[in-house]
Amino acid sequence: MNFEMITPRTTGELLQALANNQGSRVRIGAGYTDLILELKGLKCEETPLVINLADLTDPKFTHIEKTDAGIRLGALVTAGKVIIDASIQTELPVLCKAASELGSRQLRHRATLGGNLCTASPAGDIAAALVALEARCEILSADGTLRTLALTDFLVGVRKTALRQDEVLQSVFIPTRKSINKHLLSDFLKVGTRRSMEIAVVSLAYQFELDAEEIIRHAGIAIGSVAPTVKFVSAAGEFLVGKKFSSIGAVAADKFAAMVCAEATPISDIRASAWYRREVLYNISRGIFDK
Amino acid sequence: MKRDLKIIGKPTRKLDAEARVSGEAVYGHDIVLPNMLHGAILRTKHPTAEILSIDTSKAKALPGVVCVLTADDVDVNNISYKGDHPILKKGEVNCIRDEIAAVAATSREIAAKALALIEVEYKVREGIFDPFAALKKEAPQLNRFASKEQGKNIADSFHYEHGDLQEQKEKSTCVVSQRYTLPRVTHCCMGTSAVTADYSRSTKRLTLYSLSQVPFLFQRDLAKALRMEPSNIRIIQPVIGGGFGSKLDMHPFEPICALLSMQTCRPVQIVFSREEEFIASPTRQPMVIDLTTGADADGKFTFREVKITKDNGAYTSWGATTPFVMMQTFSSLYQIPACRFDSYAVYTNNVFAGSFRGYGNPQATFALERNIDLMAMELGMDKMQIRLLNANFAGEETGQKLHFRSCGHKDALQIVSDKANYKNRQKSNGTGRFRRGIGLASMLHVGGGAKIYPSDGCGTIAKFDDYGYLTIISGASEIGQGSETVLAMIAAEELGVSIEKVRIINSDTDIKPWDVGVHASRTSFIAGNSLLGALSILKIQLSAKAVALLGTDLDDLIFEDDQIRSGRTGKAVKIGKVVRDIHFKQPHELCTASYYYEPDSEYQDGAFKGNVSSAYAFAAQAIEVEVDTYTGNVRVVDVHVAQDVGKILNPLGLAGQIEGGVVMGLGYALTEELIASEGHVRNPNFHNYKLPTASDIPEIHFHPIETSDQEGPYGAKGVSEAPLIPTAAAVANAVSDALGVEIFSLPVTPEKILQALKEKSV
Ligand SMILES: Cc1cc2nc3c(=O)[nH]c(=O)nc-3n(C[C@H](O)[C@H](O)[C@H](O)COP(=O)(O)OP(=O)(O)OC[C@H]3O[C@@H](n4cnc5c(N)ncnc54)[C@H](O)[C@@H]3O)c2cc1C
Repeated sequence: MNFEMITPRTTGELLQALANNQGSRVRIGAGYTDLILELKGLKCEETPLVINLADLTDPKFTHIEKTDAGIRLGALVTAGKVIIDASIQTELPVLCKAASELGSRQLRHRATLGGNLCTASPAGDIAAALVALEARCEILSADGTLRTLALTDFLVGVRKTALRQDEVLQSVFIPTRKSINKHLLSDFLKVGTRRSMEIAVVSLAYQFELDAEEIIRHAGIAIGSVAPTVKFVSAAGEFLVGKKFSSIGAVAADKFAAMVCAEATPISDIRASAWYRREVLYNISRGIFDK
Repeated sequence: MKRDLKIIGKPTRKLDAEARVSGEAVYGHDIVLPNMLHGAILRTKHPTAEILSIDTSKAKALPGVVCVLTADDVDVNNISYKGDHPILKKGEVNCIRDEIAAVAATSREIAAKALALIEVEYKVREGIFDPFAALKKEAPQLNRFASKEQGKNIADSFHYEHGDLQEQKEKSTCVVSQRYTLPRVTHCCMGTSAVTADYSRSTKRLTLYSLSQVPFLFQRDLAKALRMEPSNIRIIQPVIGGGFGSKLDMHPFEPICALLSMQTCRPVQIVFSREEEFIASPTRQPMVIDLTTGADADGKFTFREVKITKDNGAYTSWGATTPFVMMQTFSSLYQIPACRFDSYAVYTNNVFAGSFRGYGNPQATFALERNIDLMAMELGMDKMQIRLLNANFAGEETGQKLHFRSCGHKDALQIVSDKANYKNRQKSNGTGRFRRGIGLASMLHVGGGAKIYPSDGCGTIAKFDDYGYLTIISGASEIGQGSETVLAMIAAEELGVSIEKVRIINSDTDIKPWDVGVHASRTSFIAGNSLLGALSILKIQLSAKAVALLGTDLDDLIFEDDQIRSGRTGKAVKIGKVVRDIHFKQPHELCTASYYYEPDSEYQDGAFKGNVSSAYAFAAQAIEVEVDTYTGNVRVVDVHVAQDVGKILNPLGLAGQIEGGVVMGLGYALTEELIASEGHVRNPNFHNYKLPTASDIPEIHFHPIETSDQEGPYGAKGVSEAPLIPTAAAVANAVSDALGVEIFSLPVTPEKILQALKEKSV
């Protein structure tokens, strides 16, 4: 495996690198936990060129920033950093849990949030949590302009994003919901055969906002590994809104699970059959309401 | 006679621990020789095809390429246990591992590039990937070198029987027949396969830095393949990063590397990538076991009838002889009046199997111990009770003529059942998301070598130097199992030398005496006894001199703290001083001893009867699981292992073997499978080949049983294969206990569990 590398240190140098280097041989590198495998498998005539983001110091790329408007996470924030961030622990617990389930400690130390999104794997753990949180992508282009795009529009297919050749993902933004959060209920359910170093066979990320009466005011739900991309399941979420969490019984739970599954279009592969994925998605969706 | 032991039985760190963890150890991959070239192998793109042409001209023209070989360039013999495996394939390929060409170049990168430049024209043929399809009349002959004695696609078969089957069938009130399906799994050695060959133009000798577990058999096999004198081949074993049976056979890459070196007269090294390791190294035998077992109304076992169909793959390895071990389990684990055993290794176009820790026994034990649970349920008997009722006992001679001079079978069952609180366990009520269950299984395995070769012996040469340091030249190899440390402990125990003053030389066939190799959990037993023989000779020599030096008599001597002391006077002399006197004073002798130990086991007769091992190991496991009925995931909560180890030699090494074995067994039970379809390996990486991780491993509680075998060193037996053998059976039995559903194939995947639950509920 052979490749060349440019390492910009400032955003200015990055934009220049993007402007000067385009074409099929160019790759962007952050934590390299996916990219190394991609480069190994590459069979191209030209030597790949990697624009290495690892040394960027611009806080927009590297920091977690909390304002009244919301929380902004730089693309280079690692899973390890997400887990220990206090505002994420309290306000975005689903993200915290998802990041803690990624790979292993060694992986989490390197794996970036931007890499997880830009890899666009249907099994991305961080991606699933961020889809449930309705995150927006902040995309920087070589000419310095910034555009934003809903994450669900950013993830367009298996290993396909809406990024153009001269663009990088700078950060994601999760706006604060106007309603007063009284109480959050969330989890990231990852199903696989091993308890670490495992890619989800099925995943379910959810974060519910409940008011003082335990009425669900908002429900963000995403499913992973059951469709070409991580999917936001809006209908099932809306079904829950207005219901009191503790009074959701078996019938409503079954209906909810069926609505979640309606959004799934799983395939069979060596890791599991479509039948299994559906079955499990149904079981764990319904299981949210187990007493 | 009870002896106070000072070293044996005390936790002792592995001699090579520091070198291994610090990176100092020189593995096969670390070897660099002057002028060394890098070899690489071109494997087929298609599992089955005719090779119409091979064009190596572009590869040969690439700067840095020194040699390109195809079958046309070499004049060699086939390899493998049945001689059915060409080293380089000519005219056709029969499985996805097949070696078509090999390259030697000045760098690994150039070698890889050269492979890509070799043009092969294939005409794809239809393959047969299912052994039952290969057994059909209309199936073509899959291996053109096969002997065909037993049928055109049967590579090897075994038949065994004892007792009156008909009579026992008539006695049976309960008969259970079941088919069991076992997967293809692989060793996953941390160190991938590697070899360095160094041929000398002037001496015509070949030195191979090889990871073989059986260097002397390897030397013989390689010589036969290359048409050389075995003595002109020197095998040097570097530090080995895991064997587990994978290095029992010689594989084509090894003679290929030798050929590249002989062609170029330069050293050549071949190192596998992890992907290549998954695709091109051996596997455990996948097989289908059709088992029928019977018991009378009291639960006493009456008979067993078993037919095994093994997927041999395209060529035949030592692994084809695993029935040899499997028949022991069927004929002799628990008391059994009648047994009939048939097995067939059937050629297919799949990757071929080899040998793997347990050697067929995990498969046999899975089927057998699952069937016992089924019989207990049918009889309405307690699963523990039925096992205790039929357990083996000391003094038993089985139908196969295995002689259990010591036997911890019953104890092992009783201990795990008590420790796991089997009797009073909470019975699953069949509701709720998470359900718990406990499964039991036991096993029998050779524990004192296995006489499958004219000799199961091992030679030792021991020599003292003038400073009291002891060098042990042992025929037996260390492949990570810790036997070196045990040998040093034995020397320290017997002669009072400190462990730091013991050196072990065991990695060079030009130096070391003969040994059959590392397999059958035999090394500490056989090499230990061999060393004891050599040490007793040395001790006599040292004693004679010490008696003179100390002015005392023989039975007054105490060997301790690198000294020989008179118990009466307390006067002591350093061993080094004694050795100097032996060397430098009249009559000027060498302080050296050599000894060959041959165990008292027997070569079995044509009907496979005879006491094949000097001792037998018994073990039982009780495993508790918790099944998530939403996902089908099995969490192993607790593992209790009770094993008859004869005598604990090194508790640390023993714990390593037990824990490592159980982990291997859990992978076999729950997650591991080398997935093949149409002859291709679909998961040649750790991403999709699900080796358990540290976070999947439960508490492993080990309860050793010391039965003090009369033949073993200090009473010890072989221990190393046993801990993985009953694990899968115990896990599947636990799942059955938890859910009331029966799984008859491995691995017990979440998907199989959900499917079984679904079928049960409709
Ligand atoms: C052993 C192992 C286990 C794993 N386990 C998990 C797991 O449990 N869950 C999981 O979700 N993933 C897992 N992964 C995948 C991987 O670790 C994650 O997807 C990780 O988040 C990728 O981040 P990275 O920084 O390493 O990305 P990189 O490898 O550096 O990049 C990944 C891709 O994103 C692109 N990219 C990266 N950053 C940017 C950017 N800012 N702008 C534009 N493009 C960019 C790269 O060009 C590349 O195509 C695992 C990987 C391995 C090797």
